[in-house]
Amino acid sequence: MWFEDFQIGQKVVLGSYTFTEENILAFAKKYDPQPFHVDKAAAEKSIYGGLIASGWHTAAVWMKLMIANRRAAIAAGAQSVQDNFVSPGVREIRWLKPVRPGTTLTYVNESFAKLDWPTLPQFGLIEGRNEARDESGALYYSFINRVLIARRNPLIRR
Amino acid sequence: MDKRLHFEDFAAGQVYSLGTHRITAEEIIDFATEFDPQPQHLDPEAAKASILRGLAASGWHLCALAMRMMVDGLFVRAASMGSPGVDDVQWRRPVYAGDNLRLDAEVLETRPSSRADRGYVRVRFTMSRTNETGERERVMLFVSSVIVGRERENA
Repeated sequence: MWFEDFQIGQKVVLGSYTFTEENILAFAKKYDPQPFHVDKAAAEKSIYGGLIASGWHTAAVWMKLMIANRRAAIAAGAQSVQDNFVSPGVREIRWLKPVRPGTTLTYVNESFAKLDWPTLPQFGLIEGRNEARDESGALYYSFINRVLIARRNPLIRR
Repeated sequence: MDKRLHFEDFAAGQVYSLGTHRITAEEIIDFATEFDPQPQHLDPEAAKASILRGLAASGWHLCALAMRMMVDGLFVRAASMGSPGVDDVQWRRPVYAGDNLRLDAEVLETRPSSRADRGYVRVRFTMSRTNETGERERVMLFVSSVIVGRERENA
């Protein structure tokens, strides 16, 4: 699949992930050791009233599910011309509800824009809106991702 | 007495140096194995063939690392209550094993919350490294609002 072939507007269910006390603590001890992420007793006294996942944990899980989804699609016969994907950045990360142990979030991606990326003429940029919701449909997390996809025909610089 | 920094202590224009960290190949591979298992983050040989031209940290790893540097460099002495989000994360350059990273924070704006016990501090975080010629170059930027507790409740 080349940038030229990419159809925007497709909604893709990337997968689900269950946050547990164990994986919340493991992530936070390495990367975000604030009391409400690593210390149950302190978390109960915090504004959150209990242990919650680091927002960056919720964010990193999106990448994990995106890669797993892409691998599954390729295993099922999808054509791919790229075996690695890079991004110049992301936008509008919103941590809307605290993620507590036992919460299972399902992540969904919907691409909405195809853009030129003149600094890398061999690529184009896809932007997508991403949401993570629990079983009841409550929205916990959203952001806009950006990924560079190889072009069949590199952009000609003017 | 609570000696931590509170909402009242922050003001637009302040800059905080949040420390340095030399990133290792082990750290890059450890994060990528769990959250971003792509060749350019896992396998030094395969990474050479990628657009990043060498084993490079996942952008999400850099965000998590920036968080750790914020906690160690600032939130250990500030009344942080979390964050509602981040705007405009820019991954400017690949970060390679051995890079000596530095994180700096600049306060852009402070804003009281409708809740009396807290306020919002909007901060631009800049991660940079020293390049081969000894100059600092920016590798990642983002802007985030941090919820910070007030020392005295806003009546």
